Amino acid sequence: MPKDQFKTRLEIAKKRISDKNFNDRKNKTSPIGTAFKLSTELVAAVAVGTIIGFIFDKTFGTKPWFILIFFFVGVVAGITNVIRSAKNMQK
Amino acid sequence: MAANPMSQFEVYRIGPEIKIGAIDISFTNASLFMIISTAAILLIFNIGSKKNSLVPNKIQLLAELSYSFVSKMISDTAGSKAKPYFAFIFSLFMFVLFCNMFGMIPYTFTVTSHIIVTFVLASFIFIGVTVIGFIKHGFGYLKLFVPSGVPALLLPLIVIIEIISYLSRPISLSVRLFANMMAGHTMMKVFGGFVISLGIVGGWLPLSFSVALTGLEILVAFLQAYVFAILTCIYLNDALNLHH
Repeated sequence: MPKDQFKTRLEIAKKRISDKNFNDRKNKTSPIGTAFKLSTELVAAVAVGTIIGFIFDKTFGTKPWFILIFFFVGVVAGITNVIRSAKNMQK
Repeated sequence: MAANPMSQFEVYRIGPEIKIGAIDISFTNASLFMIISTAAILLIFNIGSKKNSLVPNKIQLLAELSYSFVSKMISDTAGSKAKPYFAFIFSLFMFVLFCNMFGMIPYTFTVTSHIIVTFVLASFIFIGVTVIGFIKHGFGYLKLFVPSGVPALLLPLIVIIEIISYLSRPISLSVRLFANMMAGHTMMKVFGGFVISLGIVGGWLPLSFSVALTGLEILVAFLQAYVFAILTCIYLNDALNLHH
């Protein structure tokens, strides 16, 4: 058998193996896991923002304001978290 | 057998009550199952690494496979710089995995279905990673909160958002593990209750459901331990190789 032919066949086989590995890694996380990961990212950031606002309100005695502000900042942080981890998943 | 599906998560005292000041440190069923899983891990890895034969037996194969699995996971996600932290991540992964798996045996207690357990694990990781970041980069670690290429007007808002998103890490890490374990076990208990209440006529459908759920739960138990460990690696990677 000519050497070139063997080499191309080897290349094709290697490529197939690496493609397979890539697909395996993609399939490792189930769809439920993905959905759960994204939703907890969002909820956790909102919770942290609200807690920080609550602590500020308690210490400064400005009852609703910091909680309101930090709730929305937490929502923004949660959305950036979700976008970031979704980008990581697509890699 | 209690009909309440949440009664499986009850923590109760085993043996005498021990108190230091106002803190109750009595031995509970949660502590019992933590000790059981730790002992099982120690036993398996002791036996598995004792003989070191070229052709491994089953226990040695298990130990070697899990070693190379975690080792590959760390080098894939956090790079070669994270090698010194292998022992920590390996024991963390094994502990969570064994706690989850012991919970799958009927009449046992699932330690990881309590948020305080997972939150303590996650906050240890969070504090540890932050300390490592400050040791490696000094105050340059704070650059993590200041992404490049942001207009100066928006900067204060962005920094607050970044800090909140950083602080939310331990919460999302712990809630994910806890909620997965608790939801799965509650669902299994509910379907088990349906089998009893529908009796021999209609009980077959929920019975088949709970068989399928058991398989799913074993998958989830493994997957959540894996996710917990891999997210630790990702956070460690952020601390070791500072780039955003």
